[in-house]
Formats: sequence, structure tokens, C-alpha cells
Amino acid sequence: MNIVVLLKQVPDTETKIRIGGDGKTIDTSDIKWIMNPYDEYAVEAALRLQESAGAKVTILSMGPERVVESIRTALAMGADQGVLVNDPGTEGSDALGKAKVLAAVLKNLEFDLVCCGHRAVDDDENQVGIMVAELLGIPHLGLAISVELGDGKIRIVRPIEGARVTLEGTLPALVTFGGAHAVWNPRYASLPGIMKAKKKPLETKTIADLGLSPDEVGMQAAKVKITAMELPAERQAGRVLEGETSDKAKELVRLLHEEAKVI
Amino acid sequence: MPGHFPANILFVLIFITASGFFLLTVYKLYRIMRLGRWEDRFDRPWERIKGVATFVLGQRRVIKEPAGWGHFFIFWGFVVITIGSIETFGVGIYHGFAYWKFLGKGATSLLYLLQDLLCLAVMVALGIALYRRFVIKPERLLYEDQRAANQDASIIIGLILLLVVLLVGARAVEYLLSQNEAGSYFPKSAFISIALAGLFRGVSEEALQGWYSLLWWSHTLIILLFLVYIPFSKHLHILGAIPNVFFRRFGSIGELSKMDLEDETAETFGVSKIEEFTWKQLLDLYACTECGRCSDNCPATLTGKPLSPKLTIHHLREHLQKKGKVLLSQRGKDETEAVNPEGELGRALVGEVCQQDELWSCTTCGNCMENCPVFIEHIHKYVDMRRYLVLMESSFPPEVQNVMRNWETNSNPWGLGFASRGDWAKGLPVKTLAEDSQVEYLFYVGCAGSFDERSKKISSAMVTLLNEGGVSFAILGAEEKCCGETARRIGNEYLFQTMAGELVETINSYGVQKIITTCPHGYNCLKNEYPQFGGQWAVYHHSEILSQLLRAGRLQTKLSLDKHLVFHDSCYLGRYNSIYDQPRALIKSIPGLRFSEMDRSRNKSFCCGAGGGRMWMEETLGDRKINDARTEQALVLEPDIIGVCCPFCTTMFEDGLKDRNMEEKVRVYDLAELLVQTVNSEKK
Repeated sequence: MNIVVLLKQVPDTETKIRIGGDGKTIDTSDIKWIMNPYDEYAVEAALRLQESAGAKVTILSMGPERVVESIRTALAMGADQGVLVNDPGTEGSDALGKAKVLAAVLKNLEFDLVCCGHRAVDDDENQVGIMVAELLGIPHLGLAISVELGDGKIRIVRPIEGARVTLEGTLPALVTFGGAHAVWNPRYASLPGIMKAKKKPLETKTIADLGLSPDEVGMQAAKVKITAMELPAERQAGRVLEGETSDKAKELVRLLHEEAKVI
Repeated sequence: MPGHFPANILFVLIFITASGFFLLTVYKLYRIMRLGRWEDRFDRPWERIKGVATFVLGQRRVIKEPAGWGHFFIFWGFVVITIGSIETFGVGIYHGFAYWKFLGKGATSLLYLLQDLLCLAVMVALGIALYRRFVIKPERLLYEDQRAANQDASIIIGLILLLVVLLVGARAVEYLLSQNEAGSYFPKSAFISIALAGLFRGVSEEALQGWYSLLWWSHTLIILLFLVYIPFSKHLHILGAIPNVFFRRFGSIGELSKMDLEDETAETFGVSKIEEFTWKQLLDLYACTECGRCSDNCPATLTGKPLSPKLTIHHLREHLQKKGKVLLSQRGKDETEAVNPEGELGRALVGEVCQQDELWSCTTCGNCMENCPVFIEHIHKYVDMRRYLVLMESSFPPEVQNVMRNWETNSNPWGLGFASRGDWAKGLPVKTLAEDSQVEYLFYVGCAGSFDERSKKISSAMVTLLNEGGVSFAILGAEEKCCGETARRIGNEYLFQTMAGELVETINSYGVQKIITTCPHGYNCLKNEYPQFGGQWAVYHHSEILSQLLRAGRLQTKLSLDKHLVFHDSCYLGRYNSIYDQPRALIKSIPGLRFSEMDRSRNKSFCCGAGGGRMWMEETLGDRKINDARTEQALVLEPDIIGVCCPFCTTMFEDGLKDRNMEEKVRVYDLAELLVQTVNSEKK
């Protein structure tokens, strides 16, 4: 049993995002990079299957050298090996371009199951996982909050507005993961795990290694392009009303009516 | 008759057997202790000897409590009677043996007087001990297996009582016999023995000889029985305590050791087996007398948590003795031959001998260690076992995981963006080291002072006060990192060392020599633990700096504050670093402020509940929250203000007051916040 987890490195959710000079990208200085939380749930799910079904878990990611740190984190959690596509030619890829790169790697890997987060918390596109499944011609089971294997099949549970539906698919398959931290409780790497992770195999590839040409992926090939970015309006400071309760109530009603215009 | 043939031969044989048995038992205990890892405790020999003089001979810590005076007399009675026993044994070998022949009559008289007086004192003390154990029954003497504990205590008390009664009895008869024997001498100073001799008036010389023989033999046999029994009872402390005081820890009580995380050959980290403790940690177990002062002062025990330091030590000792015996008997055998008679080999240290909840309940406040008369080091055992749980098993209260992630990604427990660390200082008259590194002090603000809304007020008060006092200082701003103190106490040494490495590098890159902190945790860590990682700075807590500024007249309190204040000593300031007077100097400098000491203050201060990483854990166990207990202790004095010197204590008290709807009536202030209200801000 081979499981491949697709992993994306994203800015920490507490990072104060600044838009770059071109107005289309973010300024990446002063950013702390982390593993996309939904991908972390996918890693956790894969590791649970590794324990129960004796699977081998490979982490697959793309991006610059800094991504190695996130792959090592997953290896420290217990994954067996890593592959990183590190090629400037992939920069500016749209979701389809990224999916092509990942699918190209997967075509040369043995796998029964591909796991990934249903979306990355940076650009919130919800696309790459599904596209990879399409490119590989395998079923996609989305937004899993639990997963189990048996009889060559995969079963997942997916929430729908508080209700649940159980889906079953044939292997090989791709599962995207939803849920929340409290659902998955991704494990905290032990010290021996961290030490072993330093020695686990991590292969770096370029798009040439994958038989892809720069005009298939990257900025040039992108069919969808970001044309502008805008930060949310800065929040105004709160206001505390002073005085007698009845006056405060009157003032509050006036403000809600005249300034906030909500009543 | 003692000292005549063949009784002397019999005595020598019994003596050799008993002492041999005793020495063999002690040797076994020594070998069990040496199963532990190596630790160097041989530095500063002179101070160590002085420690023994103060804490063993002087019983300095024992007599801190009234019951300790009983022990003082029993201890000295034991010493003097043991000196007397040598004479008794001498007589057993040769009947003519007597101290006065060597020491002279003067010295012997003094010894006999002391012996008589101490025998009396011991009898009184033992009477009080029995009354205490069986009538008063103080909580600290209560036990899981009360019968066994009482039995052990009764045997010992009974033996000592019998021993002194028989000694005085034998002396009385000896006195009568000496009257009729030419050339003999019996000091008149032994007035109790002589008075007791009245009981034997009119008894014939021959019968007296019989009585003497009986009393001598029973006294002597009890001493030897005592000798054999000691190592098997809690009175093992007689042997354990002296070396334990000698090998005690110097410096900050809770200073943790640096783990070698680079060691590629290490198979395990932290302590998960009793033999992974150091020999000194095992010696601690022999030294415990189960007096219970640790648990009597433990905030966890007193609020009903599943932790009692006394029981921890007791359980560890039982486990050590059983497992140690098995381990020694199996040395040199391969594993297949291993026998495991009582299942002790398979008993998990963490999880069975010690419960996980027990380990996580410790606030590392140090009250147990501060009150232990024989310098047992409890905190380090808890942290060593936590280290195992965190580093090897990734096992800890679930809420801690998020906090550890937050440290990893943003270097603060709240997980707020690291780049906003210096934002609290926006608009305040304070520079960063990057702007000006030619300053005298680095003000290391810490996580709370940087990110916690409440604690930011303490930081800005400090900026005002330092500027007012003309202190040359700067902050690190966004460059500052968490000191990692809490991660270390939780047991995550790996994370701590990563953070410490980064912080040392940043601070040293500016050539900083002196540091001011407001948080006692950062203060203790930077001052006492960072030298392990190349951080060699003079570190000051703000209470030290501010009291200096006041003394030098650089700060002057002008406005009066007509309020009643109680002050809470933070563990990491007080017990860890002996800073008690500086905060009080601040308080006394404020005109109009009335100050009351809490019942548990200074080195007896009761933890707020936030130490040892407890700040970041839910407090669901026990019958009440620690901060609630401490808040109540403060409210008893009906203060207007609870004065503190620590951002975590501030939070804990404010929460405690909110839970009682008292937050409007009673306010919690860091002393810097009080001082800033009263200092005239006009330039002098």
C-alpha cells in the first residue's frame, strides 16, 4: 500500500499579509511558512492508515527550497520519504499548471491513494486536488472527515450541513480532506521522529525531470491569472459609550441608525 | 555478666553479625543508588560541609516548624547516646572499660549530664510525637496505607523509647554498683540516673548484678536491632539525609539541566525508567522521612489535585528498592534468563508508579523543595518525566499542542504574528537596539508584555519609569523572541533549546551586557539557565532596577495612594531568586499605601497556579482552582489592591477576582503600574 500526500507550504495564518509592489502578489519577506493545515490533516490521515494498513507514505510538494522544512515536518510526524519539485519554471502556475506538475510526478510513482487538503489557506482555490485526480483518471472523494480502507476500496465520511454522507470509491483514488484541527488532531512530532526525519530520503526534481516543458506550466501557461489584490479595509477602533444607561441606549440606537445604517 | 568471659565472646559475635548485616544492607542500597546516571555533585566541598553543619547539626530547616524541635532533641539525643553506646559496647568486650579512664572525670561528667538531660528530652519529644500521630493526626502524616505507616512509626518510636529508658535504668544500677566497688567512678552529674537508683534501694548486691546484666543486654540488643531495622524503614533517612544535604543543589532551586539532544547514540530522552534518574535523584529517595512538609505547602495537593510530592517520593522509593534488587541480581545475565519476581521490572515509571496527571499537576513553584528539611529535589523529577512524555511519546495535555505550535511558528504562546511583537511600543518613547545599540540595558519585554493586552500596560509603565529615572535602554522590538522558559518546564527541551539558541544569537549580536525583565519566568530563565547556552548577561528584574532608582533618588514618589495593599511573592522571583525585599521597598516608597503581609508570604508564598506551563493547561482536576485558593488567601486581608510582580500572577488573580465578581472592588496591579501612578512626571 502506497500513499502519497500532496502538501503545500503557506504563510502562517497569523502573518500580516502585505501586497507586493506589483499589486498581484504578496510580499514574502517577514513571512513564517507553515504546512497548509488541511494538508496536515491529510498527513495525519495517511499516517493513521500507515499504522493500520502498513502503508508507505510519500510527501509530494512543489516550490522553492524553503518548502523542504515543511516536508521534513511531515517526515518527522512519521512519513517515509519526500519529493519536492523545485523549479523556477513552475512559478506563477495556476491551479491547472500545479496539478499538471503533481500529476506528472505521480505518474512515475506507485500509489494506491493520494491525500491532500481540500484547499490551501493562502489562495483558497479548492482546485488542485480535484484536477490531479482528473489528470490521473482516478476517482476523487472530497472533504473527508474520516477515512478507512478495506477490500480494495476506500470509504470516507463527509459532512453536509451538519448531516453526514458516507462515500465509497475504488482504488487508486484521491481524497481531499476537510474538517478542522479538533477533528484530526494532527500528531506532534517526537524528538526521535525529528532526528530520523533528517535522514529520510528527500528527492528534488525539476520540470525537465518530469518531461514537462516550461510552456505547459508556469506563468506563461496559466489560463487563470491574478490581476489585482486588495486587503480588507482596516478596522476602525471600537467606541465605548459613556453616561447613564438610558442615554447610552439612545445614543446606541442613533448610531446604529445614522452611522452604521443597520436599523 | 557483660564484659566477662564467655558473655563478651557472645556479645562480640552478635555485634559482628548485626553490624555485618547492617553494612551489607547499606552496601546494597548504595549499589541500587549507583544504578542511576552519573551527575557531578562534588564541587564547592567547603560549602557542602558548611551545609551539613547548618542543616544537619543545626537542623536549620527542621526547626522552622514547632514539631521540628521535637526532632532536634531526638536527633541530638541520638548523637549523644550513640557516643555513650560506644562505652556500653566497650564494657561488653571488657567489663573494666570506662570513659572516665581516658577522657578524665570532668569530660565524662559533662557527657553523662548531657546524656541524662537528652534522655529526658527524647522521652518528652517521643511522647509529643506519639500524641501528634495518634491524637492530633495532622493531615500531612496521613497516608494511603495508614496502618503500615503508623506501624513503622510506632516500631521506631517504641524502640527509641525503650532504648533510653533501659539506658537510664542501666546507669542507675551502675551507679549503685559503683558505690560498693573500690576504684570505680560514677559521675554525680548523671542526676536522673542517680535519682532513679532510688527504685533499687535495698536490693542485694547479687540481685543488682542480675538487674545490670538484664538492662545492659536488653539496651544493647535494642541498639543492634535498631541498626538492622533502620535501612528497611523510613528511618533510612538517618543514613540518607546527611549525604543528601551534603550533595545538595546550589543556586536557583528549579534550575533545569541541559539535555544533550545532539547525542546520536541516545536511545531515549527524559526519564521513563527509575534507573534513568541520576544517583543524586535516587539518593533523595533514601533521604525522605515522609514528614509531609512538601505536600503541606504544595498548591496542587492543597487544591485536591492528584499530586502529593510526599507520595511521589514514597512511590518512587518503593519502586526503586524492588526494581533495583531485581536489576542487580540480573547483572551479567542475558535477557532470556531474566526473572521478574514481583512484576516490578514491567511496571512503567510513567503511568504506573507515577501517574501522568500527577506529573502535569506540578506548577514547579518550588514550595516542596523550599520546605524539605533534607533538600529533596522534587521538581526535577517531574520535569524529567515530562521530558520523556513530550520528547518520546508526544504525550501531553491536548491543549498544550497548540501552544507549542504557536511557539514554533510565532515564538509566543498566543500564536500572534511574530512581526507584531514590537507593536505595543508604537508611539512610546522607546528605541529598538537596531536603532541604537549604544545603550546600557536591554529591556527584554517577553511574550506577555508584548502580546497580552493587560501586560502591555506593565510594559508601558516600565518605559515611563525607565525614562523618568534616566535609564539608558532599548528593546528588541519585532526581533525579540520568546525565552522558551515555559516550553522547558513543560518538558519540551528541544523546542526550548531551539528558541534559546535564536534568542542568544539575537541578543549577543548587539553586544548586550545588562538586561531588565518584568516577567519573573524570563528573568529566572535568562539569568540562571541561559548561561548554559552562551547567554552571559547581568539580568535584573524590574523590581530590582526600580528599587535601585528609588534609593538613588532618580525616581521620586510624590503622589499619595490611600489604599490597602497585599503583596503576592511570585515563585520564580522569591523562592527561585530570593527577591523578597526589593518589591517591598517599592511598596514602602509609595506614600499613603498601607501594606499587609499575607499569611503565606515570602518563601512560603503560595503559587498563583500559572507556573510550570500550567498557565496553558486547563485546570479541571481537584476540588478548586489554585488561583481561586490564592485569591481567597489575599481577600482575607480585605485589600483594595493585590500587588504582584509577574504578568502571569496578574492574570491569575484577575481571573480569581472575576470568578468572585470582585474585580470592581479589588484591583490587581504590577508594582510598576502603581509606581508610575505616584511618580511625578515633571522633569527634575
